[in-house]
Amino acid sequence: MSNFLLAQLTTPNADVTLILPEIVVALAGIVVMLYDSFFPKQKAVSGAIGMLGILISAVLLVLMWGDSYSGTAWSGMIAHDNLRLSFGLVFLMIAAMTILASTLWVEIEGVPTGEFHALLLFATFGMMMMAAGNDLVVIFLGLETSSIATYVMAGLRKGDLRSNESALKYFVLGSFASAFLLYGMALVYGATGTTNIPLIAASVGAAKFPALLLIGSAMMIVGFGFKVALAPFHVWTPDVYEGAPAPITGFMAAGPKAAAFSSFLRVFVLGFPLVAGAQAAGILHETWISLLAVLGIITILFGNVAAILQNNIKRMLAYSSIAHAGYATVGFVGAGLAKTAAERNEAIAAVAFYLFVYAITNLGAFAIVSLLGQRNDRRADFEDYNGIGFKAPLLSFSLSVFMLSLLGMPLTAGFIGKVLVFRPALESGNVLLVTLVVVAVIGSAISAYYYLRLLVVMFFRERAVDWTPPRVPSALMTAIAAAVVAVLYFGLFSDGLIRRFSTAAPKAADVRAER
Amino acid sequence: MDLIKENLLTILILLPTVGAIAAIAYKAVTKDDSSQRWFALIITTLNFLISLLMFTRGVPVVGGFEFEQNVPWIPAIHTNYHVGVDGLSFWLVLLTTFIMPLSVLCAWTAVEKKKTAFFAFLLLLESAMLGVFVTLDLLVFYLFFEASLIPMFFLIGVWGGKNRIYAAVKFFIFTAVGSLLMLVAIISLYYIYAGAVQGSGSFDFVEILAAMQSGKLVLGSQAGMLLFFAFALSFAIKVPIFPVHTWLPDAHTEAPTAGSVILAAILLKMGTYGLMRFNFAFFPDQARETAWIFITLAVIGIIYGALVAMVQPDWKRLIAYTSVAHMGFVVLGMFSFTELGMQGAVYQMLNHGVSTGALFILVGFAYERRHTREISEYGGLANVMPNYAAIFIITTMSSIGLPFLNGFVGEFLIMVGMFKSNILKVTASTNWNYVAAMAAGIGVILAAVYLLWLVQRVFFGKVTNPENKKLTDLNAREIGLMIPLLIAMVVMGVYPKPFLERTDRAIKTIEARVMKSAGGAVEKTELDTKALENR
Repeated sequence: MSNFLLAQLTTPNADVTLILPEIVVALAGIVVMLYDSFFPKQKAVSGAIGMLGILISAVLLVLMWGDSYSGTAWSGMIAHDNLRLSFGLVFLMIAAMTILASTLWVEIEGVPTGEFHALLLFATFGMMMMAAGNDLVVIFLGLETSSIATYVMAGLRKGDLRSNESALKYFVLGSFASAFLLYGMALVYGATGTTNIPLIAASVGAAKFPALLLIGSAMMIVGFGFKVALAPFHVWTPDVYEGAPAPITGFMAAGPKAAAFSSFLRVFVLGFPLVAGAQAAGILHETWISLLAVLGIITILFGNVAAILQNNIKRMLAYSSIAHAGYATVGFVGAGLAKTAAERNEAIAAVAFYLFVYAITNLGAFAIVSLLGQRNDRRADFEDYNGIGFKAPLLSFSLSVFMLSLLGMPLTAGFIGKVLVFRPALESGNVLLVTLVVVAVIGSAISAYYYLRLLVVMFFRERAVDWTPPRVPSALMTAIAAAVVAVLYFGLFSDGLIRRFSTAAPKAADVRAER
Repeated sequence: MDLIKENLLTILILLPTVGAIAAIAYKAVTKDDSSQRWFALIITTLNFLISLLMFTRGVPVVGGFEFEQNVPWIPAIHTNYHVGVDGLSFWLVLLTTFIMPLSVLCAWTAVEKKKTAFFAFLLLLESAMLGVFVTLDLLVFYLFFEASLIPMFFLIGVWGGKNRIYAAVKFFIFTAVGSLLMLVAIISLYYIYAGAVQGSGSFDFVEILAAMQSGKLVLGSQAGMLLFFAFALSFAIKVPIFPVHTWLPDAHTEAPTAGSVILAAILLKMGTYGLMRFNFAFFPDQARETAWIFITLAVIGIIYGALVAMVQPDWKRLIAYTSVAHMGFVVLGMFSFTELGMQGAVYQMLNHGVSTGALFILVGFAYERRHTREISEYGGLANVMPNYAAIFIITTMSSIGLPFLNGFVGEFLIMVGMFKSNILKVTASTNWNYVAAMAAGIGVILAAVYLLWLVQRVFFGKVTNPENKKLTDLNAREIGLMIPLLIAMVVMGVYPKPFLERTDRAIKTIEARVMKSAGGAVEKTELDTKALENR
């Protein structure tokens, strides 16, 4: 397969093989739609088709890592680097987990299965295009593809008012943010004369209208900031997350957020770099770094403090997802300040690893919340979890592992993720970034309160009313078990994944020789 | 046997974890919730026996470690699983493995619900604590340091007293705040090292220390101070040093007996160990400059702890406050930066582990019988429980520092060390060291007051409360588990030489590291063990 890909590389333009993983996912979505229209009563087949497509796509992605080719495809529209490959893998994992975790919900609430799975696959396709896009236009197309699919998914619980509210809010505010983003892109195009990111990077130093560039980048920060839920652009998050069905909330908190981070990283870190001797680029670089660092500080503090006050677990996780966007920003600005390409790749890999871990932990947690929440997520308050710890030991153990990983306790993957994103920021030695890291650890300490609260109610309190542990369907069990294993495994043995994420062509043999 | 010796520390760390998993698996298969204590007892005893193998090798050379193992853990970020023991950690490892079987025994019948989970958490806690004492990689050290929080959090939260939730959360958050700042310091140190050696960074204690000693890595005074405080804060909370001690009385009082024993005997030592291992070695200048702060806080802790202990109506809370006072002594000895004082500090860590651990076990015995900790509920126990009273009084004497018992040696060394120290000397006539040493002396007297008064109220006089009349004396298990502790008290009080010899070289190294970089002459204070024996 790898050789086959290599053989095609002589004519890189319009080479289908280089976007094969994305195509496979989109095709799987279309197949699901067609299948569903012929067999509307099916429940599991569309999920199986989706899983198959995801699996094939993941294999293709991993194979693309093996080849030494690094650069662009499709006349520079598509990037082929570690950022795309590692984030692509993250999205596929998220989609697979969502399919598994949603089986129970699909079953008991009579969700139109085919539509749901098709939408999920299209959203995943859009997210993959966002990571792969090397051009502002491709990124925007990917963003819209994934957003529109997600708006619909948030409203899939048609009879529930909160779900409708969630979808409508998400749609209106999301469109607003997209407009900001698009306008920002247009201004950047006006200043540099191109939408291609490497070309933008080459011309920011000699930009004709530096002011346009500044305004354009600021509007893009607003647009992306909305998508990743950085404070103060986060206000939509809690309502949308609470109203949407739990498995979809898990998906939204992980997928679109990680996707937005991938393009955010590409546009800013790769598109607006520090160019030696160019004043305009220098101002732009400094501005976006400090702006993001300040946003990061606000986000971390706000997300954590607001999460303490929540009584609903879905809302608590929504605010915690805001805080986690803040932690990922720490690695992001670190990547922006990296001095060499290798350091930059490491920092990008750190963010990818962090979001990978966050996604898997969060999806696992939402799978359990959805299982215990019953119909319409009625039972999602802290007190609904009173004393279930020793009654359903495996579920509570899994949920505890997820909470401890979100908290960043050692021996879980969350700890490694935190260490990785703090590293590039501390490496720069920049005072603002060191402050950001200190705020991030203080935020982590605050977050101990609300993550532990779940452990406290589950294990330390007694249950007043009778409660029998629910039946756990095998698909859901698979998802939860996979998440627990991954969280613990990557807490101990993360080396391979970090290396893979930080280089586009990690030939295992070379890596070992280098050591 | 060689295989065991080569992987000795790894076995010590992993064995309890394996035991915990086995206990849970056994429960899952058989639904039997009562035999896990045997798992715990066998594993912890086995671990103790294995740890005795540490005696087969001598004291490591200066700056060296025995039973060293160094394998890459996450090569991508240059962190290694690097373990080893030297004189400083040797006795702390032994203290841990020695206390663990005893705390399993003291929980033998006290734990009534969820026994499997209880003993599994005890075992996991042992793994984490041993990891803290033997790890030489900063990131892995941090990992174990934090990991030890979780089992203790559950021990307090599930099996604790009335206020257990408040106490557990407070314990967790206090400790986590401090240690997270230490994580920032650890990563910063990694890059400072990378910049200094013009290569990749390092989390390795030995490598960083070598770079500092060879002058390759020089910390700026401001950066050094920030890093020093980031490390010191997390350890100060753990010790705990006044005024960040407030989690301790709550945690101790609410924890189940076995939890209090481990907390007092071992967990607190992580703080003082960390200060000596990392703060003194990495930041000697800062340690000297800030010694006055720590000495002042230690003295306040000694006096304050004693005064508060005196007025406690709650028996267990009283003992908890004695910890604040006793750990103040340890900090005082450490920051004297004399060999005598630091030897005394290490010795006092062990003493405190043995005697305060014993006191908590004894309080637990009474609590199991009466289910109250109010001192006023007791009285005249010596009449109905003579053996119990005798053992309690011996332990009290050890805690007060009666000669020929262990407490005396430690406190004596610390005070002599403080008198000989020059760290707070302003001029020839104004030497604040004397003041600190004398204040500590008052602390010793106060300790006698509150402990003897406790003994008087609980054990002497007539049995006034009818409920106390039916109390049964200690049974064979209870006496059996106290005997090793009593032996330790006497041996450590009468013949401290072997203990001090083990730590001697490590202490001298630390002292030289702290004092030599002062530029002035290092005052030689040879440890006169003969004088101690002849006293």
